[in-house]
Amino acid sequence: MDHFPTNWGRPRNDAFDAYATFPIHQRPSNGPKDAFSQGVQRTQQPIVTGTSVLAIKFKDGIMMAADNLASYGSLARFKDVQRLQPVGEYTVIGAGGDMSDFQYIQSLLDDLVVEEFTNQDGHGLGPKEIHEYLSQVMYGRRTKINPLWNSILVGGVKDGQRFLAYVDLLGTTYSASTLATGYGAYIAQPLLRRAVEGREDTLTQEEATKIIEDCMRVLFYRDARSLNKYQIATITASGASISDSKALETSWGFAEGIRGYGAQTQ
Amino acid sequence: MSSLNDVAGPQQRQFNPYTENGGTILAIAGTDFSVIAGDTRQSEGYNIQTRYAPKVFRLTDRAVLAVNGFAADGNMFVKKVKQRLEWYRHAHAKDMPLHAIARLIQTMLYARRFFPYYVYNILGGIEDDGSGAVYSFDPVGSYERETCRAAGAAQSLVQPFLDNQIYFKNQQPAPGTSFPAHLPLPIVLKLVIDSFTGATERHIEVGDGLEMYVVLAKGRDLSGLEGIVGLQELSTKSDGERIFVIRRELKKD
Amino acid sequence: MNTFVNQFSTSSALSVIRKAQALVDDDEEFSDAAWGSEAGFGNLAKGVPSFSVPAVHDPTAFLRLHTDDHADPNCRIKIQHGTTTLAFRFQGGVIVAVDSRATAGSYIASGTVKKVIEINPYLLGTMAGGAADCQYWETYLGIQCRLHELRNRERISVAAASKYLSNLVYSYKGMGLSMGTMICGWDKTGPAVFYVDSDGTRLKGDLFSVGSGSTFAYGVLDQGYRWDLTDEEAQELGRRSIYAAGHRDAFSGNTCNLYHVKEDGWRFLGNYDITKMHYEGPGDVPGSAKTGYGYDVRVEGRVSSAAPAVAS
Repeated sequence: MDHFPTNWGRPRNDAFDAYATFPIHQRPSNGPKDAFSQGVQRTQQPIVTGTSVLAIKFKDGIMMAADNLASYGSLARFKDVQRLQPVGEYTVIGAGGDMSDFQYIQSLLDDLVVEEFTNQDGHGLGPKEIHEYLSQVMYGRRTKINPLWNSILVGGVKDGQRFLAYVDLLGTTYSASTLATGYGAYIAQPLLRRAVEGREDTLTQEEATKIIEDCMRVLFYRDARSLNKYQIATITASGASISDSKALETSWGFAEGIRGYGAQTQ
Repeated sequence: MSSLNDVAGPQQRQFNPYTENGGTILAIAGTDFSVIAGDTRQSEGYNIQTRYAPKVFRLTDRAVLAVNGFAADGNMFVKKVKQRLEWYRHAHAKDMPLHAIARLIQTMLYARRFFPYYVYNILGGIEDDGSGAVYSFDPVGSYERETCRAAGAAQSLVQPFLDNQIYFKNQQPAPGTSFPAHLPLPIVLKLVIDSFTGATERHIEVGDGLEMYVVLAKGRDLSGLEGIVGLQELSTKSDGERIFVIRRELKKD
Repeated sequence: MNTFVNQFSTSSALSVIRKAQALVDDDEEFSDAAWGSEAGFGNLAKGVPSFSVPAVHDPTAFLRLHTDDHADPNCRIKIQHGTTTLAFRFQGGVIVAVDSRATAGSYIASGTVKKVIEINPYLLGTMAGGAADCQYWETYLGIQCRLHELRNRERISVAAASKYLSNLVYSYKGMGLSMGTMICGWDKTGPAVFYVDSDGTRLKGDLFSVGSGSTFAYGVLDQGYRWDLTDEEAQELGRRSIYAAGHRDAFSGNTCNLYHVKEDGWRFLGNYDITKMHYEGPGDVPGSAKTGYGYDVRVEGRVSSAAPAVAS
């Protein structure tokens, strides 16, 4: 996204793909002449990509959601991909960005969890530990200029403590009571903050589900790389569960009267 | 090294490993204390990523480090400094002196001269002689001891204010009087709070929360800190230098 | 089936390779000096330290993209630049005078920089170009000079010290170091000044000025320089030259630091505010005319407080 207002309102430039959604390698970039934006070219650019992941804190734990789409540029290539993954007993991670890198991360975490399990010392990895591990891996790879092209949410509950944090391809980390990656950071995050902030300790699971569902719907209306099929992960003190895929209820009737949406003839 | 990469053949490698996460940090030295402060907003572009991400860290009972720039680099750098300080403790059974930490930070930053940490560091604390000190660094390790320094997104808003209020730049003393070389703690705390409320008003990347670390020299009483709400002590001993943190809200818009 | 086994076996080929790589990587990160055995002392004493370099085809281009603010004012990592420094040799020793401004782009990052680096009691280095490069390598030079003393039971000559530095920076040529420095001191041959820069140039000479304000400083310096200057005259010339540069060069200014090197080592003479020198002069110091360098000269007789004499 070009954040600088002085660059707005110019003729659209198809050669510049702000969201990196198009899988043709090495297209010419006509972005703004700023050293940093110029630097934003990719190692291996993401090829098969997932879009936003959302997550919030609620009374009993963490709720996370992501749709089931893996895009190949603008092509909706795989429509039954699970982007939420339980790790150990207490944690779920959700990933946007390159799906092959995500699968590699899953295999890393599988190794990690198996190794931890074989120790049989009664200590399981909690969400904090998983997030720390992931952020070191991601930062290490960016420092090698060979990043894992993902933004990942890590959520979980251990020892009565809720944990929710973010890590991305640069190794940037942060934690908040509502998080959203990718397009969701622009569209869903404000809605989530309005619905959740200050109510983390009172929201019930039903209310949380409703909030997440509403945001997924808004995202489906506006994010061209999203799908109306998604899953919700719920992590509470009793463990993590990931729902079956659900379909979003949408209505497009409003579009009929709006010029530009419907089947107007002129 | 990696055999896997070698097999993969030549790779197209151009990727921007840096970003900028906003925020501002600031430190002021007094005669026998130091104040090191930072806001807690972390942002990227126009997105506020979180309203609470600390930029100021306790290193020892007499040293506090504030980092600003690229947050991932900053966190990693603080982690490595803390690790080196721990090794020093294991070898010498005491904490590293402040001026030595400053030099350590220089060599650690300069070791990355050709792939810099995109981090502006300000180190504050108490010297061995009991005086308050502030060291400021550029990303590749040049450093200087100063009385006050602001860095980060709003440095160009805050530093002139500090120049005027701390160094009394462009001020004329009343006839027969002179300006003090160091200000008392209550005034310094007020200046820090004003700096950040001001920066919050005029800079979009500053706001949400303020964390002020106060380091007091050995044996100094708590004058200037009494009656401050939410004062929290972080020192490990009560007979050495003492560290406190004060948290305040800043505007969140 | 195989992939399943691979994925869950901690002894599969893939995870063995992964772990081996992790070990190798760890070794690369830390030398023995970093791990407890040497208690985490600095890396300076162990010969030339090692630097991590980004894993890109052209590390220099990478560095230029992200740190060189001359090529692009938008680049985020600002390395401090901009300076006037000067040093000259005369019958009474060496005068070293510098300004104290550091700029990052058009922002004045600091007005209180110490641009004279005290290598040891007999050697001074000046700082122009990258502040960190100068500070770090001249500190490093200080260590090597001390080792030379311990090994040879005598102080290093200025020629040898400066050559050590120039050989060192030459080995990094093209990597992006930026320094223009004068190594000044007094050795068996008397006062000595050597100019050393990051291109590898090393010059012996009587008089040098380095930095964006050097042309202005040279102007004053050249018209006032003689070998048989008295100490006071020489000190005043140094001050006056830095004042001229601070006045006319936007990237120089704030204050002037003045040093004098004699047979018994260097001595710091003082810190002079350049604005103050403009209006009031450097104050009551040896060699000074005790008047402003700039203000009175221009307005004498032209303001109401000093009205022109009525023409007869």
